[in-house]
Amino acid sequence: MEICGLVRGSCERYCPDAEAKMRIQKKLLNYFEYKDGQKQVPGVLVKEFTRSAADAKVPKAKDMRTELCLNKTVEYLLKDILLDERKPFNWVYDFVFDRLRMVRREIVIQQFDPKQTIKLLEPTIMFLAYSRYRLCAEPIEKFDPKICNQHLQECLNMTLCCYKELDDQSDHKEFTLRDLQRRCFIEALYQLFNLGTPEALVRGLTLPAKVREDDTFKLAFGICMNYHRGNLYRVIVDLPKLPHILCAVAAYKLQIIRRHLLEIFTHAYNNKQLTVPTAYLLRLTLVDKTQDFAQLCRHYNIALTPDSKAVHFNKTVFNSAAETVKAQREPFIEAKLQRIYLPEVLLLKKLWL
Amino acid sequence: MFGTVNNYLSGVLRSAEDYDGDSLGTFLSLRDVHVQNHNLYIAQPEKLVERMLKAPLDEVVIAHLKVLYYLAQEPPNYMEAYTQQAASCSAVVKLLQQLKDENWCLPLMYRVCLDLRYLAQACEKHCRGFTPGNILEKAADCMMACFRVCAADGRASEEDTKRLGMMNLVNQLFKIYFRINKLHLCKPLIRAIENCTFKDSFPLPEQITYKYFVGRRAMFDSNYREAVEYLSYAFTHCPDRFASNKRLILIYLVPVKMLLGYLPRKSLLERYDLLLFHDLALALKAGNVNQFDEIVRQHELVLIRSGIYLLVEKLKFIVYRNLFKKVFIIRQSHQLDMSDFLTALQFVGVTDVSIDETHCIVANLIYEGKVKGYISHAHNKLVISKQNPFPPLILA
Repeated sequence: MEICGLVRGSCERYCPDAEAKMRIQKKLLNYFEYKDGQKQVPGVLVKEFTRSAADAKVPKAKDMRTELCLNKTVEYLLKDILLDERKPFNWVYDFVFDRLRMVRREIVIQQFDPKQTIKLLEPTIMFLAYSRYRLCAEPIEKFDPKICNQHLQECLNMTLCCYKELDDQSDHKEFTLRDLQRRCFIEALYQLFNLGTPEALVRGLTLPAKVREDDTFKLAFGICMNYHRGNLYRVIVDLPKLPHILCAVAAYKLQIIRRHLLEIFTHAYNNKQLTVPTAYLLRLTLVDKTQDFAQLCRHYNIALTPDSKAVHFNKTVFNSAAETVKAQREPFIEAKLQRIYLPEVLLLKKLWL
Repeated sequence: MFGTVNNYLSGVLRSAEDYDGDSLGTFLSLRDVHVQNHNLYIAQPEKLVERMLKAPLDEVVIAHLKVLYYLAQEPPNYMEAYTQQAASCSAVVKLLQQLKDENWCLPLMYRVCLDLRYLAQACEKHCRGFTPGNILEKAADCMMACFRVCAADGRASEEDTKRLGMMNLVNQLFKIYFRINKLHLCKPLIRAIENCTFKDSFPLPEQITYKYFVGRRAMFDSNYREAVEYLSYAFTHCPDRFASNKRLILIYLVPVKMLLGYLPRKSLLERYDLLLFHDLALALKAGNVNQFDEIVRQHELVLIRSGIYLLVEKLKFIVYRNLFKKVFIIRQSHQLDMSDFLTALQFVGVTDVSIDETHCIVANLIYEGKVKGYISHAHNKLVISKQNPFPPLILA
């Protein structure tokens, strides 16, 4: 295909001068763009997202960043801003989300090749996946999971296409082991994010052997296959074996899995006299504390014994009309995330596998 | 044997004047002999064609001659040929819009769309520099333009309406969407056909193809009864002389029926060279989990390639059911020890299974109605119903 009218960025700063000047003048700076501790003093600006519109001119080279600069921007956002604890995380999310979105637009405008695109998109995927977990319990005004999911899916699709394109190029240099490891991680993320959809499974089955044989990918894909087979037990057993971010992505479906398991148990252990010990159920539903489990039972109208040590299952009273409990932060995942240095993982510099 | 361009063009003109869609389709086909006529390889045929033919038919023919020109190059320029074929397709859309209350040119549309798909496939195979599936998706967009014109033609009488062309296009689009793994795009097409008042009067071959794809889609959505209905229709109506098509249908029909409790006859599988399913059925019947897994592993590639791997994996719980039924037959009791099931699983070679998982498997079978009874956790026993503890799957 012909490359015509291609604009390559020449700006070496996070924010092109023209935009910086305009935004400083009009006082359109984000909280994170003011100098630390000093009100009204501009600090580090990052190019903000703007839509492509019919009346907008074709961007000039100096209004767009170079590839190196874009990579640095991503690093700045996912390290300096991400670790900024002056404001709640949803502030960080809003800021980084917007600025990464602009990075994505520049990838498209400048028509970067698959390799360049992958390098910039992989961290975006990691960031969205992490934020989606970290903010899952927030109210809708602070975090909209639907929009986050949509963007995550879009980034994943774009990246997956790039991988495929590289696979098809017979003359390309072999992936380095690091590249391959990153790819396998992202492919695993895609599988878990799309847990339960046949399209993802079909993709997983037809991936090149080098990906399918990767341990992380195998574990993630195994979970997806067991979910497909209906063997939720294996899903629950394997899920905590997943590394940090992947575990966080999978945890998003955990409430659906728990609900389904409880529904199955109400049928299987359905008896007026008999009870099932809570400890056994905690283990099978990956719930930590008895009181959390009791809450879950109340929600779906499952009766517990007065001492909460056992459960009476009765399939006729199970509240199947109840909405599935919202995803929440899980202690075992928090523990995993505690052990990693987040910027390194989000930037895929070191995956801490 | 081959005539001049003018011979060719007057042939086109004659078919158009006779409202002969079939022969017009042949004139614009890439599978017809005229594509070997060197006289037709013209880089800029505009002037020649415009003298003979009226718009928008001239555009269709101009684009077609350019396609021939690009394909005749060494090596063939598939990308340009595709672009021209797409232009030809858009010109057909204009033609369709112009011919109100007439549908004689539908065969032309079929032909142009079919060749468009073939060329898109050739591009995907031979060309680089675009996202895989992208060209096919664009081809689908071109066909959708045709489809919209056809679907909107509600005013003409039942014989003359272009809506009769819908099913042919839908089948073409299905082929693309299945190839690029975008099954969700099939839904609006199916709705359009199902809402058609004369959906049963489409030609039989088109109906067979249509039902085949709708059946496969239902299969992916886990609507197994619907899938069986559509695929059975396709299988029984497909004439015997199309053995390879019948085999294709069976590849999906057999496992779906197995999921609903019907095991295939060996003779049938033998006739269509599908004995793999016979082995699978034997393992399933015996409840031999390990053997079942082994067969799936052995034929993994074939199963993945034909798109039934995921379906076959779903048979697993039926294998468990059959195994557990055997435990019941041996024990002849209505109170069965859960550890017996565990032993049975280990006996058939499942080594990494725990008592917790055994509980979960049995629980799942009860939930799905494949076993009637309840588990007593305290006694570690499955108490099964006195009547029909393992109801036949066909009834479930």
